[in-house]
Amino acid sequence: MTESAIVSAAITEWTASGEPTPSLMDRLASVAVEALRRAKLRPRDVDAVIATTTALPFDNPSFITISAQHFAHRLASKIGSHGMKCINVCGACASTAIAFATADAMIKSGYIKTALVVGADNSPRGFYYQAPSVLDADLATGYPHKVVGITNPSYWAMWARRRAYEMGKPVEDIKELMALVKVIHSEYGARNPYARYRKVFTVEEVLKSPVVCDPLHLYMISATSSGAGAIVVADMERAKKLTDKPVKIAASAIGGPLSNEPAPRLVHFATAGGGRAVRPFTEWRRVIEEAYKQAGITAEDIDIMEVHDTNCFNTINWIDQAMGWEREETDKLIRKGEIRHNGRLPVNLSGGTASFGEAVQCQALMMIHELFLQLRGEAGERQATKKLRVGLCTAYGAYGSYGAIIVEKAW
Amino acid sequence: MSKEKRKVPIVDGLFTWPSDEPRLIGSRCPVCGSVQFPKSNVCNNPDCDHSKEPEQILLSPEGTLYSYTIHRYDLRPPFDYHKAPYAIGAVELPEGIIVVGRLTTTDEEKLKIGMKVRLKVGELYSDGENAYLTYFFEPVEEVRK
Ligand SMILES: [Zn+2]
Repeated sequence: MTESAIVSAAITEWTASGEPTPSLMDRLASVAVEALRRAKLRPRDVDAVIATTTALPFDNPSFITISAQHFAHRLASKIGSHGMKCINVCGACASTAIAFATADAMIKSGYIKTALVVGADNSPRGFYYQAPSVLDADLATGYPHKVVGITNPSYWAMWARRRAYEMGKPVEDIKELMALVKVIHSEYGARNPYARYRKVFTVEEVLKSPVVCDPLHLYMISATSSGAGAIVVADMERAKKLTDKPVKIAASAIGGPLSNEPAPRLVHFATAGGGRAVRPFTEWRRVIEEAYKQAGITAEDIDIMEVHDTNCFNTINWIDQAMGWEREETDKLIRKGEIRHNGRLPVNLSGGTASFGEAVQCQALMMIHELFLQLRGEAGERQATKKLRVGLCTAYGAYGSYGAIIVEKAW
Repeated sequence: MSKEKRKVPIVDGLFTWPSDEPRLIGSRCPVCGSVQFPKSNVCNNPDCDHSKEPEQILLSPEGTLYSYTIHRYDLRPPFDYHKAPYAIGAVELPEGIIVVGRLTTTDEEKLKIGMKVRLKVGELYSDGENAYLTYFFEPVEEVRK
């Protein structure tokens, strides 16, 4: 089978959300041509543009959202198109992981040779709600924000409390662990020129921030941001001609909702009935297991991870799921600082979403970009000190959207 | 003299109303037995042959608290009638599903994972004419911490 690799990557600095300028399309276009320049390619060399749609809110429910659903087409026209294939994908916070996996599958199938994977977002501020729409009875009446007042952090908070309970620990224990995760992520955000937040926090500062949903404090939850990213993916033969350090895509798995997932999922009223899986977060584990299988590796082979931390519980949970070990081991790993750049298993040396804030439809590109730099030894002050060969990126989004990408040095 | 406000469910079809003992309205697939809340027009079991439509059922009024949180931030319009602090719980019902809902108390001393809770319908907010109702779960046992 054809192998595929990342040839080049570029992201913008993540900035505050909610500002209309510069335009999303301008940002997307400049970062896309930057990625092409780094690969020494022109738009004519690109067979497909795969873009994520945006989570932008619209000012009026009667406006059509077709412009936000066709970023790939608009970008192709803007940078110069020779009839390249344009694909728009959507999967909440996991969107760019799904776009990336789509590009990888198209290359591996032999349908295309080179793809430009892009994402951009200017995410709405504050809690996320589904937009009420008079045209859809489900949205007009049934959603849980309206009835229960439940928000994304409420689900995360309940998961965190449940984990502490199942481990026989007081809730203060996971609260303190989440604060430590924030502190460690912030140390690397401070060293990342692309991160929006460069302040290094202390555990005390995090625990002094207002409680949003106990045990989650404000500084344990990511802000929302603006950002754009582009990655050039090509078949290995071509990638090796374009760069002397191609980063092989060893696996790209897309995960979806599991009907028997036992943990209440964003943004649902209830879990599904009948035949529940025994372990919570089976959905999370499943996409990673698929990626391990594709790559022919096990958890022990992972040298570095970038995991989607919309809140600090998710960092902990991703480590639990990716390592598949007793949860106590995750706690020890974090408490001993082994997720730092000089640790046993560096996690989120980008600074994570904790330091970037979340540009929803682009967040996985930020993580893949970091693994690309780390594997190539180009991460500067954030560079992991251990020898790196294999990296795992995990993305997580509402409604059961998941992506797991494994990258590997190919030189 | 103020007129008694009309009591209206915030959303129709989630719980029985008017009722002295309100129940959540779900559905059960006659083919495979899968239970859903809210009720659905199709079964959600991937192994079901979907040969019959789910039937409406009333879910058990009592369940076990799976987890909970106290929301301490107000929500933006149009959901700003949810006034912080308010409590949210995930409740495991005997039917085998976990349902999220409001809890009647924000006093953490009265809440504990694993405790028995019972369904109740109460006021969420009111305007000039109507009192809008939603479902709550109320602790039915004392917490010994
Ligand atoms: Zn069925």
